Amino acid sequence: MNIIVLIKQVPNTTEVKLDPKTGNLIREGVETIINPDDLHALEAALALKETHEAVVTVLSMGPPQAIDAVSEAMGMGADKAVFLSDRAFAGADTWATSYTLGKAIQHMGEVDLILAGRQAIDGDTAQVGPQVADFLDLPQVTYVFDIQAVHADYVVVKRRLEDGYERIQCRLPALLTVIPGAGKPRYPMASRLLLACREKAPIQVWNAADIRVTTAEVGLEGSLTQVMRTFAPKFERRGTMLEGGTVDVVRTLTAHLRENKLV
Amino acid sequence: MIRSNPEELIRKTIARFVDAEIIPVAQELDNKGEFPREIFEKLARMGLFGIRYPRNKGGAGGNTTLYCIICEELARGLVSVASITAMQCLMGTNFLFHYGTEEMREQYFLPAMRGEKIGCFCMTEPDAGSDLGAITTRATEVDGGYLINGMKTWVTDGPEASFYTVMCQTDPKKRLRGIGYFFIPRDFPGVSTSPRFECLGTRTTPICEVAFKDVFIPKEYRLTPEGEGLNAFLKIIAEIRAMTAALAIGLQRAAMDDSIKYANERVASGQTIGKFQLIQAKIANMATNLEASKLLTYKSAAMIDAGRDALKEATMAKYFATEAACSAADECTRIFAGYGYSMEYTAQRYYRDTRFLLSGGGTHEVLQGNIARWAGV
Repeated sequence: MNIIVLIKQVPNTTEVKLDPKTGNLIREGVETIINPDDLHALEAALALKETHEAVVTVLSMGPPQAIDAVSEAMGMGADKAVFLSDRAFAGADTWATSYTLGKAIQHMGEVDLILAGRQAIDGDTAQVGPQVADFLDLPQVTYVFDIQAVHADYVVVKRRLEDGYERIQCRLPALLTVIPGAGKPRYPMASRLLLACREKAPIQVWNAADIRVTTAEVGLEGSLTQVMRTFAPKFERRGTMLEGGTVDVVRTLTAHLRENKLV
Repeated sequence: MIRSNPEELIRKTIARFVDAEIIPVAQELDNKGEFPREIFEKLARMGLFGIRYPRNKGGAGGNTTLYCIICEELARGLVSVASITAMQCLMGTNFLFHYGTEEMREQYFLPAMRGEKIGCFCMTEPDAGSDLGAITTRATEVDGGYLINGMKTWVTDGPEASFYTVMCQTDPKKRLRGIGYFFIPRDFPGVSTSPRFECLGTRTTPICEVAFKDVFIPKEYRLTPEGEGLNAFLKIIAEIRAMTAALAIGLQRAAMDDSIKYANERVASGQTIGKFQLIQAKIANMATNLEASKLLTYKSAAMIDAGRDALKEATMAKYFATEAACSAADECTRIFAGYGYSMEYTAQRYYRDTRFLLSGGGTHEVLQGNIARWAGV
């Protein structure tokens, strides 16, 4: 079976700092990593490879330095990779990103299963996985934490809900977005990392022409949304201390809740 | 062609491992003083023990520079984990790899690469350290092999090892020209080990004495051919010193990182102590020494990778980087002041661990003599 894993290189921080003038992320001096949810998607694919005959291909899009994420994925055990890197892809919103990834997947040939992380820690949109599925007209299951069974034409997975989980059977090919499950992502092997750095490593670097798209369809030009301003919201919560005896405090509190239609 | 830089990629990978798997438990491991088996197995699964060996022979296909990068990053987390790894990658397996038979490779080398067996190196004796010509552990040729008799001390990983590479004297009259390396499995009759030493620093690194009494080994267990022992030693000692320098760089970085963090947090007289010039001077010296240590160390590693004689450069690197580590650890305890004296903080561990680096790879008193001689006196 052919498994494609979508991965993204992101800054290794949950406390993203913004340039107050430009509103852009400050990336200088911040270490980059494979997006944590994507690592779980890759781990799930590699675990499947241990029990099924599968070829795992990593697909990523980013500036040239994002090749490190691809190399690391190869180090973990991916068989091959496609890296989409072209100035034309820069500035893509989730729509243009999904479109580009979708076109690349179409260009990659037959696929049985696409795995993606639920969301990236830099954008937190959780849109790219579902949009890729929509573009390719594939069924999708989000928030998957356990791939229980994989058959020739369907997969059985568990997806997390707020108050429990669902067990879903889904026909293949399909796209799953993955959240952390039982398997901790493995560390890369040194020998595989070094192989990934070689020119003859099975990593293909594709540009816009390679996936038959025009520059108007991708990147900033192909984006449907534009970021007008980025800012950190200010939280200005004010607490009220209720004073007095227990009965008085409870009376005041319940009156307040009723008054604000909270109960 | 877009490809990753192997040195940056390996460094980044090991750094992440150190931050996630070693630093959070370093203090606890050091307090327990036990062999860090779980971490050792994880390092084996990453294939790090084979970093210096070719890929088609069970290694990872790297080189001395990558080996030093790994040692440096691990030492930033815990010097003892780095020293255990360093032993397994280099001294414990090097002669077995180069001179062992195919059967020995299958039985010992490849399991060592997988972390299933531990190899170590027996050189120092109770009465012979840097003066290697004075070693008395004797390999006597007998019918079908050799009889080994003698005592080795300061054997890093000795209590955990499955096999030893032992420097022996084959002909005392020849002194240095008579030395050679012999392979001795631990389970051979006549091999015994002392209880592990109680040491000041690198407390998870097990160290002991190993005694050999009439140990018979087959002749193919003589690793270096007659007359090649000294050359083999001179070849490996440059790499040992470059590696020790890399350990010292890791320790310097740890001491400096903690010092900076503390200096930016600790408030005295209404300002963080990092605002005081005397604290800034300490940090400036640490940062400068660190850069100089890197230049010396990675220059010598690159020379080794290029097949050049790097003994002088590696000796200077080991001497300079270790002295800089001693200074950084000392200054770290001063910046932490009272807390530098507390066993709850890291500064004391850095201070203790520097002592391991001072003698490993040659005492600085001997190394300075060598450097002065090379300089022309």
